[in-house]
Amino acid sequence: MIDLLSQLAAWLTSSGQWAGPEGIAQRLLEHVQYSFLSTIVAALIALPIGLFIGHTGRGAFFAINISGFGRALPTVGVVTLVFLASGLSMTPVYVSLIALAIPVIVTNTYAGMIAIEADTKDAARGMGMTGLQSLWRVEIPLAAPLIMTGLRLAAVQVISTATIAAYVSFGGLGRYIFDGLAQRDLTQVLGGAVLVAGLAVTVDLILAGVNRVLFRHRLT
Amino acid sequence: MNRRNFAAGALALAVLPMLAACSGGATTLDTPASAPGSAAAGDSAIVIGTANFSENQILGYLYADVLKGAGLTVTVKPNLGSREIVVPALQNGDIDLLPEYQGSLLLYLDPKATESDSDALQKALTAKLPQGLAVLPPSAAEDADVFTVTKESAAKYGLSTLADLAKHNGKLVFGGPAEDKTRQIGLVGLKEVYGAEFKAFKSLDASGPLVKGALKSGDVDVANLFSTDADIVKNGWVMLTDPKHLIPAQRIVPLIRTGKATETVKTALAKLNTALTTEELSKLDALVDVEHQDPDTVAAEWSKAHGLSG
Repeated sequence: MIDLLSQLAAWLTSSGQWAGPEGIAQRLLEHVQYSFLSTIVAALIALPIGLFIGHTGRGAFFAINISGFGRALPTVGVVTLVFLASGLSMTPVYVSLIALAIPVIVTNTYAGMIAIEADTKDAARGMGMTGLQSLWRVEIPLAAPLIMTGLRLAAVQVISTATIAAYVSFGGLGRYIFDGLAQRDLTQVLGGAVLVAGLAVTVDLILAGVNRVLFRHRLT
Repeated sequence: MNRRNFAAGALALAVLPMLAACSGGATTLDTPASAPGSAAAGDSAIVIGTANFSENQILGYLYADVLKGAGLTVTVKPNLGSREIVVPALQNGDIDLLPEYQGSLLLYLDPKATESDSDALQKALTAKLPQGLAVLPPSAAEDADVFTVTKESAAKYGLSTLADLAKHNGKLVFGGPAEDKTRQIGLVGLKEVYGAEFKAFKSLDASGPLVKGALKSGDVDVANLFSTDADIVKNGWVMLTDPKHLIPAQRIVPLIRTGKATETVKTALAKLNTALTTEELSKLDALVDVEHQDPDTVAAEWSKAHGLSG
């Protein structure tokens, strides 16, 4: 055990391991790129859906159940299915990561929107705001902390799952886990796992910090 | 599902406590009904174990059917785990008989072994096996690694042997499981023995849906598959021959406790080994992997149809 830990420390700190096209720096960059792109695209799809059903109260049952279904999809299954349909490209990876991130963003956005008291929305209308004005100036600002929490959860989930890019021959930190398993190199597997966990925790802390700064005036 | 997982499974941390349990003798396999020596039937009772993939289970049930046909009392313990679990279980006497693969078994016993043809492997196995264990003569059936191209690529690039790959160095894309990048039966051996180098290596799965899908769509040109994979015949893919014996033979051998290797057992298994060819075995694999039938049913029907179950 001690041996393994010292090997792990050596692996993580050797400069040779960090450099080059298969080095940690490059893999980390790829991992961040896959995760960032997937989360952004998922947000572009999920935020309008969540805002719409939260604002209008229409289609909530449908949207929440569909996205719940999305949560239950096994990511590796989605990757394999899309791979067989679309061939060897990053498409299967992005499709499955986006599918993974959408549900949590939709449900959190919706939860944030319906938590706004009806009186507040009434008051906005009473002041002469249109529906759209009420949405932008009253509802979104009030729902923002929960929406941000959804994005944060999605980002962390995507980062920890983006290892599957390696399953279909691409890079990212999953490369170390898949190659290490195949080559029975436990140090490499552990190193990859530690890096993924470290990245997920770091991003979570950064987004938590952003939340605190953005909503520092809130009582809650 | 395939032979490689058999070995790789040992890596899973979860397996370690089980390994410890096996070598410690306090094993969960020891149910009263099958405890060695407890059966009154004595020599005519035999316990067959199998590894955790479907082909090995089919083979275990085939062994069971022919031995039952020969009048023995047979218990099958399917799906026990990887080689790192089943071989120690055999040494402990938890099981008596196990379907094995020549090349992989030898590499398990001696990672530095270089024998590659069937006869040499058989000799080396006999020498390297621990006291009390023996291999019986191999079956005609073989489940080996095989480098495969589509019919179209074979015609386009003039590929029929692995040596032909070197004519197109830097042009073809190779697909296989991640370990192919660093091991002898993979990029390393192909370069060393045949001088073949590829444009790119795509790390996919071991004869699974990904690498076969990529071969079919042309995303990879050469794929590492298993010779019993039913999709090879189905798609008319071409298996490149191996004139320089890079890939060790993987014919199927019964690995048995010497005390159980009576003439009756040897004769029954020899009959099965003659009847079972690679093609027949791929058909059985397909019934289980593609049609989702039960390994024991598939084995029973096959041995009955071939008049082997008595």
